[in-house]
Amino acid sequence: MPSTAATADALEPTRALAPAGGLRRAWRQARRRPASAIGAVVVVLFVALALGAPWITSTDPLQTDWKQIRKAPTLAHPFGTDDLGRDNFARVIWGSRISMQAGVFSILLAIAVGVPTGLVAGFYRGGLDQAIMRLTDAWLAFPFLILAIGLVTIMGPSLTNATVAIGLGATPTFIRLTRGLVLAKASEDYVLGARALGAGDLRLMSRHILPNIVSSLLVQATISIPIAVIAEAVLSFLGLGVQPPAPSWGTMLNTAQQFLDTAPWMAWWPGLAIFALTLSFNLAGDGLRDLLDPRDY
Amino acid sequence: MFDFLVQRAAISVVTLFVISMIVFTGVRMIPGDPARVMAGSEADEAGLEEVRQKYGLGDPIAFQYLRWLGLAVRFDLGESIRTRESVVKIVASKLPITIELAFLSLLVAVGIAIPAGVLAAVRRNTVWDVLTSGASLGGVSIPNFWLGIMLILFFSVRLGWLPASGFVPLWESPLANLQRMLMPAFVLGTALAAVLMRQTRNSMIEVMSADYIRTAYSKGLAGRVVVFRHAIRNSLIPVVTILGLQMGALMSGAVVTEQIFVVPGFGRLIVEAVFTRDYPLVQGVVLITASSYVLINLLVDVSYSLLDPRIRVRGAASDA
Repeated sequence: MPSTAATADALEPTRALAPAGGLRRAWRQARRRPASAIGAVVVVLFVALALGAPWITSTDPLQTDWKQIRKAPTLAHPFGTDDLGRDNFARVIWGSRISMQAGVFSILLAIAVGVPTGLVAGFYRGGLDQAIMRLTDAWLAFPFLILAIGLVTIMGPSLTNATVAIGLGATPTFIRLTRGLVLAKASEDYVLGARALGAGDLRLMSRHILPNIVSSLLVQATISIPIAVIAEAVLSFLGLGVQPPAPSWGTMLNTAQQFLDTAPWMAWWPGLAIFALTLSFNLAGDGLRDLLDPRDY
Repeated sequence: MFDFLVQRAAISVVTLFVISMIVFTGVRMIPGDPARVMAGSEADEAGLEEVRQKYGLGDPIAFQYLRWLGLAVRFDLGESIRTRESVVKIVASKLPITIELAFLSLLVAVGIAIPAGVLAAVRRNTVWDVLTSGASLGGVSIPNFWLGIMLILFFSVRLGWLPASGFVPLWESPLANLQRMLMPAFVLGTALAAVLMRQTRNSMIEVMSADYIRTAYSKGLAGRVVVFRHAIRNSLIPVVTILGLQMGALMSGAVVTEQIFVVPGFGRLIVEAVFTRDYPLVQGVVLITASSYVLINLLVDVSYSLLDPRIRVRGAASDA
């Protein structure tokens, strides 16, 4: 007679993302969905860009040069220079750090708060669930950006506060999603079986329910990160996020708007960078969704 | 039917309550003397005392909340620190501009998204499908404030066809008004269109595989008749819901779009209020936005439960 846990585990569907033969399978999937594969590669490139910024460009993104104000792209400055003579290429590269940081950490925060809350709400149901869901409804009624603006007003503008504000704005989505998934899974045979065999609440939630909803949460995360990246850019554009002189794509676009007629290149690159990053995240996310949930079109 | 309406309305009231608590608490979390926060840094002692009296700032916090709520439901959201005008009055003067912008963007969005979504679904897995899906993905990914800047760069700076910014009231000169609203409405509309297109396509695909569509085909109806008379109508119900839920995104989008094109609406108001630390104004704008979102979605739910009887049965049976 096997152990109780093994019996219950045997009832569970095979988990997605098995590591065995991973590389070959990934290659096969990539060939079937070239757009998603390219998206994933570009996301990885942006991560490399963010991590390797100091090695990719030796120019200081904050170094001003009064002789090089608003110069069109040249070999020395492939993306031109800005209104203070700073190298736009260096600023765009360094800007990827800020965007990545805001995009990834805010969603990690949303997951850290939202998933346990949704898990508890969906698992225990009853009054606690009702209270959590009413709070979530109310939280969701604040338009994402307006909520973030409100929070930044209270906390003051900075990269950290913008990240927290975006994270809190995305939290209710994760609470709702987790709760819905838990409600569906909690009545599955393998969960009931594990319970009948004496598994405690904590074990049920962490060993049996959570692993089976992780793929949907992962898909939601890939949808949320590009939204968070844009939100950071918007907050910085409005002057409520990263403060100058730090090189954020949003603040760069804010400055660029004043010089559209004389230095349009200032507006091209930061915007293209945001577009490329969010598009590739969305492409990769689409592929991941197809991979993990083939029923969805 | 009645039960469904009551249940739905009750949930909305609870939600509004929680919203008001969040907004009230939020303002109290601003560091400093609450009277100073609400009256502004230039207020004298008499001004501070007036605010303390009005909001009962010496009372226990629960009483303060109730008093504030009592004033809020009577449309008294205090005065702007900067202009001393009533917050409700300021919002009411800015709102029509944003509503016009939202309405025009909705036209743009629906005009692009529904034909494209239907086409993608009917010609599924063809070039059309790939093109519209690609356009939709691009529309979701493109930061709309950058799109706005690029439009200004191209149509105003390069070609000089459209004014880059500014605003002319509709009643003064409808043509000049539309000229200035065209780019903002397009920017805001494309973002919404991207979401709607995908929803229309999915919902249309689902409907097209339904039995009654097969019946319609098998009794010999032409493809066009099936699509237009039977499929589109039924597939638009979930699209309308999404439209309601997207009102929040539209509001967020308006903030940025109005900022870029210098449209003096609701969105610009909130950014200005934040920068001038006009807390009563920020509080009022946030409260009004969230409340209207709840009310709009209540209306959407109720209106289509009238159209589709299945929804109210299912809605009343399942738990909220």
